[in-house]
Amino acid sequence: MPLLETRDITVRFGGNTAVDGVGLTMDEGQITGLIGPNGAGKTTMFNTITGLQKPASGQVLLDGADITGLSPAKRARRGMARTFQRLELFLSLSVRDNVRVAGDVLRKGSRKQLDEATDAVLERTGLTDIAGRDVSDVPIGRARVVEVARALMTSPRVLLLDEPASGQTERETEAFAEMLTGLAAEGLAICLVEHDLPLVMRLCSAIHVLDYGELIASGTPREIRESPKVIAAYIGTEEAAS
Amino acid sequence: MTTFLTYTILGLVLGAVYSIAASGLVLTYNTSGIFNFAHGAQAMFGTFLYWQFQQWGWPVWLALVAVIGVVGPAMGAALHAVIMKGLRGTADVTKIIVTVSVLLGTVYLAQWVWDPDQARTVDMFFGTGAKVSLGGVEVRYHEIVCLVAAVAIAAGLRVLFTRTRAGVVMRGSVDDPDLLRLNGHDPERAAMLSWALGSTLAVTAGVLIVPISGGALDANHLTLLVIDAFAAAMFGRLRSIPRTFAGAMVLGLAANYVLAYLPSAGTFTGNLRVSLPMIILFVVLVVLPQDRLRGAAVRTRERYRPPTVRSAAVWGAVLVAGVYLYSLLLSDAGVTTLALGMTFAIIALSLTVLTGYAGELNLAPLAFGAVATVVAFHFGVQGSGLAARLNVQGVLLAVVAAALAGGLVALPALRLRGLYLALATLAFGEFLSNMVLRDTTEHELLGMRFTLFPDGSLVVPPLKAGPLDLRNGTSSLMTATVLFALIGIGLAALRGSGYGRRLAAMKDSPAATAMLGQNLVRLKLSVFMISAAIAGLGGVLMASASGTVSQENFTFVGSLGLLMLVVVAGIGYISGALVGGLMAGAGSAVLVATFNDLALAHEGMANVYTLLGHLVLVLTALVGMGVGRNPSGFVHDIADGYRRMRDGARPVLYGGGAVGAVLYVLAVTGVIGAWTFGIAALCVAMFLPLAGDMYRAEGRVRRTPPELAGVDEPYTDELRTELDRALGLPAAHRPARLAPALRGEANAPA
Repeated sequence: MPLLETRDITVRFGGNTAVDGVGLTMDEGQITGLIGPNGAGKTTMFNTITGLQKPASGQVLLDGADITGLSPAKRARRGMARTFQRLELFLSLSVRDNVRVAGDVLRKGSRKQLDEATDAVLERTGLTDIAGRDVSDVPIGRARVVEVARALMTSPRVLLLDEPASGQTERETEAFAEMLTGLAAEGLAICLVEHDLPLVMRLCSAIHVLDYGELIASGTPREIRESPKVIAAYIGTEEAAS
Repeated sequence: MTTFLTYTILGLVLGAVYSIAASGLVLTYNTSGIFNFAHGAQAMFGTFLYWQFQQWGWPVWLALVAVIGVVGPAMGAALHAVIMKGLRGTADVTKIIVTVSVLLGTVYLAQWVWDPDQARTVDMFFGTGAKVSLGGVEVRYHEIVCLVAAVAIAAGLRVLFTRTRAGVVMRGSVDDPDLLRLNGHDPERAAMLSWALGSTLAVTAGVLIVPISGGALDANHLTLLVIDAFAAAMFGRLRSIPRTFAGAMVLGLAANYVLAYLPSAGTFTGNLRVSLPMIILFVVLVVLPQDRLRGAAVRTRERYRPPTVRSAAVWGAVLVAGVYLYSLLLSDAGVTTLALGMTFAIIALSLTVLTGYAGELNLAPLAFGAVATVVAFHFGVQGSGLAARLNVQGVLLAVVAAALAGGLVALPALRLRGLYLALATLAFGEFLSNMVLRDTTEHELLGMRFTLFPDGSLVVPPLKAGPLDLRNGTSSLMTATVLFALIGIGLAALRGSGYGRRLAAMKDSPAATAMLGQNLVRLKLSVFMISAAIAGLGGVLMASASGTVSQENFTFVGSLGLLMLVVVAGIGYISGALVGGLMAGAGSAVLVATFNDLALAHEGMANVYTLLGHLVLVLTALVGMGVGRNPSGFVHDIADGYRRMRDGARPVLYGGGAVGAVLYVLAVTGVIGAWTFGIAALCVAMFLPLAGDMYRAEGRVRRTPPELAGVDEPYTDELRTELDRALGLPAAHRPARLAPALRGEANAPA
């Protein structure tokens, strides 16, 4: 059974159908890719899965339980965490406090334990050197890592990453990819929305492709790369590109 | 049947005027995203001008054309051009504070120009006698004008929004101004048009409503009368003109049916009629559907350094010592005034935690002080006459009651955006000052007979806690000061705790905070209750320091004034609460009183001094309007100045200290008066950082940031070494010194 599943999700904004009957699955210990052109409905799917957006119809299942009616906070407490495409950091707090506050919310453990957990997450994400800095001073590539660190502090089971590599340098992306692989190996289900296709192809074991709110393909990276539908809608062909 | 018809027509007429005011509000909100709290003040100002023009002997039609055709649009367009345009992309709180400042400034200005003690009336169009008979009910021409105008305006706006190009641009300008610009439209022009139109509608409503609600023209009253239209706008969820129109009619009818069918004995019915719009506003808020969670509204880089508990404790001790030394200089009356100011500062702390830390708004902090005062009066007074004292249990009970009232008021609005919470507090404040603080009739509840507000005022005795008896002014002042310091230290501790971090997170990004598992409603509720409790404590102390309080002590305008001054001083800072609270509770009173005394003493200069007194009030409102540009407040700027001074201009610091000491000695020996000392010391404290900056500018070379080195200046060797140092390069190779001027010329950009 997949850890997270959406069934027939439809989202409408006024008369526009942003997402139309999409069903996705994400498995424990796997990195799943969600790709598609701009406006395909990727972020809308994330918002629906995390509860920020109410779907017109359809269901979201976490570990087999229907969570469609739950608030974002309740979903988070069941192990859902995410980052935002348009950064949503807490600008009046330091990098360390941005991570720490996730511990303050859930209060799993004593003050000392939370301090230690914060340090461990900062270490793991390679942010220890800038822990004391104002988060507004951090360059965008690393600010995205702060968002990931904050999400990890909630000890999630599902981690949704919305374009985490945009704004990162090549070297940062490399370290980031390594970290994601490590996290997945520990059993986390990760969903990656990303425009860096080589990165997605390399990291993901399964990929879903959205176009104009519809799921046009699901499969392994190889299947996706060879799917004519996906090539036409998103990847493009060698000839078309040249 | 005739009664029914009569009141129905009166209700429709009132509803018609509400609908005109409310649609103006909806219009500006939809094109600029600003909920205009000053809408009523604009209506008031226009109506006063209408009265003034008639005083000058202009015919009614000319005065009407002048205010509706010229004053209204000009006022709106000017507001937009000077103030509102700059608010695009600022936080909700900033927008609200700015329009509140406009409200206060306009009211102060009107009271300056038109002496509030003089009675004025505005007559109905065609006079009160001009009427027709419809089915046995007499309808005045003026009332017909109201109805026709409302229907015409509603229809016109509907057509404007849906059928015309200008209307579509208006609707687009709040959603996506950039997209409009790309399509060749000018969102600012659309916004200015809507402000002009909105202001015109406000003025129209003002001119129409005064005659049908008695004819007396009063600045405060008229401003609040138009605020009643907020409830109608809420019916349309601030979007829909037809629903706003329907809401306005419901409001107008309800108000008149209450008058027609409820018993007219006692004060209850009259009070209910006055507070009905606010009750309805509250009910509408309760049934509004939940908003979508939002991310960060603005991404300001507001520097905010929360104080450590230790530094807060040190500053608290300094404050207590300073106030004690200052109190030695003051007369008894002076001490009482300062004590009053300090209790306001405690109420101001309730705003620091709510708005400064959590980013939510309370427009009626004094109302929670009033709740606590009523409870303390009924349950905490022991003894009678001069021996009467307030006991600690009573105060604690009062604080708990204020917190509970806060929770009840906030609860329905917490699912919604900050603006709605602000409106809920406004509704509560208005409701309270009309229903409770004017409630002089006897009630019976569970066998207990009581009167909420006997004789319209409460005598609140001094507090007595064990050996501490606050019957004299100094002990009362020092207790308030110590309590302020303790709550301040408590808030510093709170801000540094996990709870404080959660508040900061919620303020910065509600969506991201929810995604960490935080129940936002619970967090907002808790912080609102803490805030209401602090306001309650401050309110009880304020009442006890005043001795006697009435409805006048807890008015909506008073609350807004306090809020504005605290924001101007710095809402995120405990020092901001101190300065803002003192200014609200004692400062303006002292300044205005001083100028009035001077005016009485020197008759020749009377005009000048009265002018200065008014100017102080209007100027504070002007500063409030500029708050969008400086959201941190001025205390923060001054504190930064001192920090710079400590690092680079110590002699100025010592000099300032010496001047302060000399002033104090002069004051102790009676050479200068106590208030003179206060004002002089304040001036020294405020302008010292300027002197420090000047000193530093003299003593040190200007520093260029590394990336600009050599761009607008000669590229010298010193610059080069400095650059090497900044970049961490080895400063090993040092070329032979060329004449700096020569090198400068060679490298200077063309």
